[in-house]
Amino acid sequence: MMDYHRSRDQFEEDRIDEVLELIWILREEGESHIEDVRKRSEDPNVSQVLYIVESEGLVSTDNGRISFDQQGEKRAENVIRRHRLAERLLSEVFEIEEKQVEDHACELEHTHVLSEVVVDSICTFLGHPPTCPHGKAIPRGECCKRFSNELKPLVVPLTELHIGDEARIVFISSKYHARLDRLSSLGIVPGGILHLHQKQPTYLIKIGETELALDRELAKEIFAKKMQQG
Amino acid sequence: MHEHSLEDTKNGHRVAIVGNPNVGKSVIFGLLTGRYATVSNYPGTTVTLTSGSCKAGGEDLWVTDTPGVNTLIPMSEDEVVTRDILLNQAIKLVVQVADAKNPSRGLQISLQLAEMGLPFMLVLNMWDEANSRGIDINVKKLSDAIGTTVIPTIGVQRKGIKELRESLTEERYSSLSISYGNLIEDGIKKLEAILPQSRISRRSIALMLLAGDASLKPWLNKNVSPSDVTTIDAIRRDLQNKFYEPLGYVINQIRLKKAEKIVEGVLSRHQKSGSNVTVHIGKWAMHPVWGIPVLLAALFLMYEFVGVLGAQVLVGLLEEGLFGNYINPYMTFIAERFIPDLFFRDLFVGEYGIITMALTYSIALILPIVGTFFIAFGILEDSGYLPRLAIMVHKIFKLMGLHGKAVLPMVLGLGCDTMATFTARVMETRKERVIVTLLLALGVPCSAQLGVILGMLGGVSLTATLVWAFSVILVIFLVGYLSSKVLKGESSDFVFDIPPLRIPVLSNIVFKTLSRTEWYLKEAVPLFIVGTLILFTLDKIGGLEVIERIASPVVVSFLGLPAKATEAFLIGFLRRDYGAAGLFALAQNGQLNPNQVVISLVTITLFVPCVANLLVMIKERGLRTALAMVAFIFPFAFFVGGVLNFGFNLLGIKL
Repeated sequence: MMDYHRSRDQFEEDRIDEVLELIWILREEGESHIEDVRKRSEDPNVSQVLYIVESEGLVSTDNGRISFDQQGEKRAENVIRRHRLAERLLSEVFEIEEKQVEDHACELEHTHVLSEVVVDSICTFLGHPPTCPHGKAIPRGECCKRFSNELKPLVVPLTELHIGDEARIVFISSKYHARLDRLSSLGIVPGGILHLHQKQPTYLIKIGETELALDRELAKEIFAKKMQQG
Repeated sequence: MHEHSLEDTKNGHRVAIVGNPNVGKSVIFGLLTGRYATVSNYPGTTVTLTSGSCKAGGEDLWVTDTPGVNTLIPMSEDEVVTRDILLNQAIKLVVQVADAKNPSRGLQISLQLAEMGLPFMLVLNMWDEANSRGIDINVKKLSDAIGTTVIPTIGVQRKGIKELRESLTEERYSSLSISYGNLIEDGIKKLEAILPQSRISRRSIALMLLAGDASLKPWLNKNVSPSDVTTIDAIRRDLQNKFYEPLGYVINQIRLKKAEKIVEGVLSRHQKSGSNVTVHIGKWAMHPVWGIPVLLAALFLMYEFVGVLGAQVLVGLLEEGLFGNYINPYMTFIAERFIPDLFFRDLFVGEYGIITMALTYSIALILPIVGTFFIAFGILEDSGYLPRLAIMVHKIFKLMGLHGKAVLPMVLGLGCDTMATFTARVMETRKERVIVTLLLALGVPCSAQLGVILGMLGGVSLTATLVWAFSVILVIFLVGYLSSKVLKGESSDFVFDIPPLRIPVLSNIVFKTLSRTEWYLKEAVPLFIVGTLILFTLDKIGGLEVIERIASPVVVSFLGLPAKATEAFLIGFLRRDYGAAGLFALAQNGQLNPNQVVISLVTITLFVPCVANLLVMIKERGLRTALAMVAFIFPFAFFVGGVLNFGFNLLGIKL
């Protein structure tokens, strides 16, 4: 006899992911009502999916309100994490247009596309970003927990440091080789310690005794780790 | 014979001064050779090679000043210039100038010089600034670490120059070496086996090639067989595949690490000797809020100095006083006595006379304005304010496909567009240089013209002045914006070294102002005389009337100006400030109403500045590009004037 789970195809799994994702987002916005899920879901047969997730113990409903059970919470968190990390990767590292970012991120959010290991690598590569490009929180993964134990401050682009911060450059992500060469010849290389003096009208940093003005375009690509204030 | 011996000097005894941008290479060059190379507190001022001879220890040396580089793997045209001199010429000694505040950036270049196998010595300039920032470098230790002579200097105070001159005759090869790790070293070995013998070591060329130096292509094609070029490419690609980051970047990082390690061993820090005023002003000048009042204050001071002292007080003294009361009446008197022929008399002292028109205009009207402007600009340049201004205006320039660095040519253009067109080279890409050249030629009025224009508008009204200024700025902005969209090519990144604010050295300002003014007079005065001769001839043969009739549909109907204004436009083709002066004369005679003043001035402001400027455009940007710009600019200038005329009539505006 075939197991119900096994026989379910990938398409159905993806539909479940979508609904769980929606419930998560509604919870971020306030409360998750079944009615809202029905209204905002793009699934033509959302009732069927809702039936499945409830019968499988992923969510419970109470008086029209819907909440995650432990397993469902975990799975939704994973989907959200993938989606938002993908958004960040696509928009910041690959500089893909916003419209396309959303489409691709939706593809990448499913387990069968990106494995756990790959997701953690992306997260580490991005410096364990706390939020997606729209400012919504990215759920922390195992890699982030390890990271925050070892190294408290996060690796962020220069644009997210505060004026007056002192930071160590961790990596520079640019698709232009010439840009990397130019920055490195001016002393902007991983390991270098910089002070952020200004963000407007242009970025102004100091490395050693060199003061450099930078366009925001470039500042976005320099990732640094804030130094402990001592 | 003389030529021959000079060639000998150049060949056997060439000394090249190299180093990072804005470390004082040109100052040192000037002190060694007594020749002036443009010195300023703005990175990238030296764009070409300047050479001069220098005597040291009984030897005649031929010293060359080079554009600043951050690495000898070139990333811009001026860096190519510097690398190529090292690659292609027999060099007796390289004098590397470094900023004592920033030894590790200098040492990155030292490492490359040592790699090239060139004899070099290291000059640590701006020793005083390093000291006041609490930086101490042990010269002896550093000299041991890099195995060559190290001399601390303070260029602007002439300190250390004697020691420098004395060690110019020593040929010392540095013992520095650096290992790039097994993988890269393997690649270097493979390339070394293919590369031919040349003036610099095979190892250094191999590294340049691995780093992906595209500017080496011409050299490769000349010195290496095509099949070997393919092999070299393959070796490079193979090695690159083993690295996640671009090889050039990996190599740079290794060099920087090594440089920092050397610095660690020789540098110590002591208490800073207090913060001084210039540091604070330097900070305010680029602050998003306080930068604006500083900018306005700088503008105001500049206006007071150039616009009031130069254009009003000094012009008044010279034009009305010296020329109006003494020279012109006196010359007219002499001419009437000694030149019986009316024709020749007019040639000198007539309405279009060489003395009464050309010399009066160039000496009495232009010289004081241009002179004061160059003094003011020299101060701005040497103080280090311009890079801060670049930060303040970066965003506006970005909309025009440029970035903050364009501030140098643009501000200099307010003095002399021709000179400024040369400095368009501070921009890195062709697209940016074309835009800067176009905007200078189209809209930035030079100080001579600005003086005439402001004098004329001042007599009309503040509104008229504002309408003129607004029209011109709008045109510059729109043309800049549109050409950034239309022109193909890339814009470069804005990463800019901000030098510390310094109190300018008087002698340098004087020197600079004199050499610029001399240059200007040599360019301008002959043109004034040619222009006057053309007008004189046309006037005598009755050509002026013919041209006025031909041009009248455009000038009279389209622009709504009197036919006499044609004369001004005609001469404006030669020099637009001269054209403006013609308009000035018309306005003084009451032949132009306020609307007409503004229309004619906007039109002439948008003309190509002068013939000299056109020649430089051709030289710098090529004949085709330059002609295309001219073909656009002149019709466009009339078009804008026409639109303005139409607008005034339509809205019934009377200024």
